[in-house]
Amino acid sequence: MKKTGLMLIMMCAFSLSASTQEGSEGGAATVIRALEREWVVAQSRNDNRALDLIFDDSLVYVEYGNLVSKGDYLLRIKSAGPQLSQIVMEPMTVRTFGSTAIVVGTYSERDVQNRKPRLRRWRFIDTWVYEKGGWKLVAAAAAPLTESRTTAPVQSAGRP
Amino acid sequence: MKTLAMAVLLACLGTPAGYTQETPDSDATSKLVAMEHMWSQAFVLKDSKALEKILDDAFVNVESDGKVITKADVLAEIRASAVLQVVTESMLVRVHGDTAIVTGVVLIKGVERGKPFAQRERFVDTWIYKNGQWVTIAGLITPIGQ
Repeated sequence: MKKTGLMLIMMCAFSLSASTQEGSEGGAATVIRALEREWVVAQSRNDNRALDLIFDDSLVYVEYGNLVSKGDYLLRIKSAGPQLSQIVMEPMTVRTFGSTAIVVGTYSERDVQNRKPRLRRWRFIDTWVYEKGGWKLVAAAAAPLTESRTTAPVQSAGRP
Repeated sequence: MKTLAMAVLLACLGTPAGYTQETPDSDATSKLVAMEHMWSQAFVLKDSKALEKILDDAFVNVESDGKVITKADVLAEIRASAVLQVVTESMLVRVHGDTAIVTGVVLIKGVERGKPFAQRERFVDTWIYKNGQWVTIAGLITPIGQ
């Protein structure tokens, strides 16, 4: 979701993303951060070919609470015209577990709704798997960040 | 005919509607579906011991308000949970070797400050096969159709 509606990307934000790495897993973490950047750049250029290489064919993608397939995602990017929202990536952490990596981070999304500027912040989790000599994105999802915890109607405490 | 009807019935019972198996590794898929149900049950029953086994020590979860919680947070907060029932409405399992992604929709019911609530959410969980068993390392839950 974090990359669905972007026209302008604040690349400077990426410098923040290098702030946290898992100790001995630094090499994989660096590669995955680079792939996260590639994803954003590819999306901003409507570069489906690059996105096709980054995403696993069975990608599970959740945006705005809806499940989207890789095919649907790429189709939308292909047909997308000029977009008005702006995504600013914020610091992210990468944790690796052998051939699996989890990226947790936040981003802000600015757009216009009913002629009024709107700012929303999201927390995302991406899952990458090392297969056939490279890292592939197998799952990505984001939840809206609210200002105060008390605004959330239910805390699931980790249980769906 | 009676035997056939029974066979069909048993087959249907064995494959609950809404649970999609996307992988040839049906053994892993059925184990993961079972683990997800165990997780829900442990959560509703406030069973810390079961949660200890299901959640990896490095587990993190993004809650529906965007907050990140750890395994320690889950275990600390479980006693105060207002959730009384978790109904899994659908589940999709995708296995990538020793990693699996499970996504689905749940209806969470409970009582908070004396008021009943029911909330439909979509979840995405990441599992890894570690030391001979599946454990979850990450999850996210978010309201449907924000």
